Amino acid sequence: MTAQIFAVIIFVAMFIMIVLDKIERHYVTLGSGVLTIAVVFGICQHSWTAIWNTLAIKNFATAEFWYATSESESKGINWATIIFIAGMMIMVEGMAKAGFFRWLCMKIAFLVKCRTIPVFITFMIMSAVLSMFIDSITVIMFLAAVTIELAQLLRFNPVPMILSEIFCANLGGSATMCGDPPNIIVGTSMGYSFFDFLSNTGVAAGISLVFSVVFFYFAFRKELVSDNAEKIDISKLPKPSEAITNKKDFIVSSLIFGLAVVLLVTHSITHLTVATIGLAIAVITIIAAGKSTPEIMKKVDYKTVVFFIGLFIVVSGLEETGILELIAQFIEKISGGNAMAMIAIILWVSAIASAFVDNIPFAATMVPVIQSLAASTGVSLHTLAWTLSIGTDIGGSATPIGASANVVGTSVAAKNGHPVSWGRYCKKLAPATVMVLAISTVYIFVRYI
Amino acid sequence: MGQIIISVGREFGSGGRVIAEALAKRFDIPIYDRHLILEIAEKTGLAPEEIEKYNENPKHRLFSRSVRGYSNSIEDNIAEMQFKFIEDKAASGESFVVVGRCSETKLRKYEGLVSLFILGDADEKVKRVMEVYDLSEEKAKDLIDKKDRKRKRYHNYHCSGHWGDSRLYDLSINSSRLGIDRTVDMLEKYIRARMSE
Repeated sequence: MTAQIFAVIIFVAMFIMIVLDKIERHYVTLGSGVLTIAVVFGICQHSWTAIWNTLAIKNFATAEFWYATSESESKGINWATIIFIAGMMIMVEGMAKAGFFRWLCMKIAFLVKCRTIPVFITFMIMSAVLSMFIDSITVIMFLAAVTIELAQLLRFNPVPMILSEIFCANLGGSATMCGDPPNIIVGTSMGYSFFDFLSNTGVAAGISLVFSVVFFYFAFRKELVSDNAEKIDISKLPKPSEAITNKKDFIVSSLIFGLAVVLLVTHSITHLTVATIGLAIAVITIIAAGKSTPEIMKKVDYKTVVFFIGLFIVVSGLEETGILELIAQFIEKISGGNAMAMIAIILWVSAIASAFVDNIPFAATMVPVIQSLAASTGVSLHTLAWTLSIGTDIGGSATPIGASANVVGTSVAAKNGHPVSWGRYCKKLAPATVMVLAISTVYIFVRYI
Repeated sequence: MGQIIISVGREFGSGGRVIAEALAKRFDIPIYDRHLILEIAEKTGLAPEEIEKYNENPKHRLFSRSVRGYSNSIEDNIAEMQFKFIEDKAASGESFVVVGRCSETKLRKYEGLVSLFILGDADEKVKRVMEVYDLSEEKAKDLIDKKDRKRKRYHNYHCSGHWGDSRLYDLSINSSRLGIDRTVDMLEKYIRARMSE
């Protein structure tokens, strides 16, 4: 009982500290993780086994961690998620350095002859597609910067376009296992593949993307009218090729990205786990970068990696002390064991929570909850997993602080003279979020119940 | 004359801004306060009123989030723009007076920085605010409380030192003792002494 109380206190304090944003969040989770090990597992439980299980270092020595022929569930620190995220960060930094993202954005703008509405639509789709493979922060960082540049040249208001890109980045991220951190956590915890996600959450994201593009077109078409009535002379605009800083690096980083996509798409056939893929991509990027490696490594966001380690320890504290099982029992009770009610609760509660708090801790906490729920009620774990992924990924779009892409996108806009208030943001994106959640609810009910 | 950057932190109602303006005149250098807002407005295309709304305001913690150095808070972004602006001015070698904006900390690395903090007696500040803003005593007190609380939160959020802590500034001075004009005289002497070093 004492262990449970301390586990909850540490978790709640961690969440409050993350929300208050006074201390950097990686210090918060790491400090909370150390406290969990010392107080919950050490002082209260005197359990070396719990500490050992949570640190999960033994996982590295198992073949299953690198090469998995069957679905396996992981507990404690989810090292596969951490290695994968770190590997992809290194790859993305290599791509950014070579000018890949800027080139891609400019190329697409030129393909549609830099006309505002076609740029608007293609950028939304590009944002969704890129976010399926790359973290949405990077996607928005580049897309928003190019949008601002185009807006200045073509004289239109960039805010509607950036907001739509943010929404589509979060939507695209929900489509695959590596698109959004909650999906990586869900996927690696339950042993799902890239294709499992694509054929389940991916279908929901695809349908929702069509509706979203139409929604944003009608929501923003009046604001997107260019001030410049004259025909745009695109020969005066900066050429896509100017974005490439080094041709050799550009080709190499494009090839590495292509390899990462192939490895991810085929990993259910090759049986390589995401940890192996992350590590392989990182090693190849480092070898290819040669002398530029220190520059790339310096830009890698180590804070996020540390944040994940601390977070997984704190969530293990809740799991080992049985708190998450109590939450599962509570959900079971209020839903009366009814699968539809359970799905609706998980989807909408995840979405509402993710709109206001970081969806990563929320997803990490909910994974053991849905595992416990599935075991006790007989509702398919797969269904609950897709529901959780969609809820956490999509809910984050509703407010400016719901997901990392939102923060980065609105910040880039503000830095360039287009501050986006909560009211401005939520006016169009909150209804769009509700629309996609409604579509997803229907999709899950029709397909899985 | 080498570069001189006069940073003026101030309590609301202490006459800090007026002192800063007088110093700018005596040294014949530009002052960045309201002008800072206008320059940023021109650069970004934002309306000055829009910048003024978020100027030297702390962000709302519950409604803000930071990711890899990016923040959704408009207050944070306006603050960063202003820090960058004064940093660029300082780096260019220009001499100027800057009011607030955490300048005593943000420009600490510049040799020519003279950092001042102007405070005042409570009753003197109330009297001054009542006169300048045409307010009742009670309303003036409330306004002083509100403004100083905001400045403190803004400063302490962006800097490691505490707003008004004398250890953070070269000189902290109570403008109520000598009055505005003689305080300016005294500060001018001090700054000239620093410049001759």
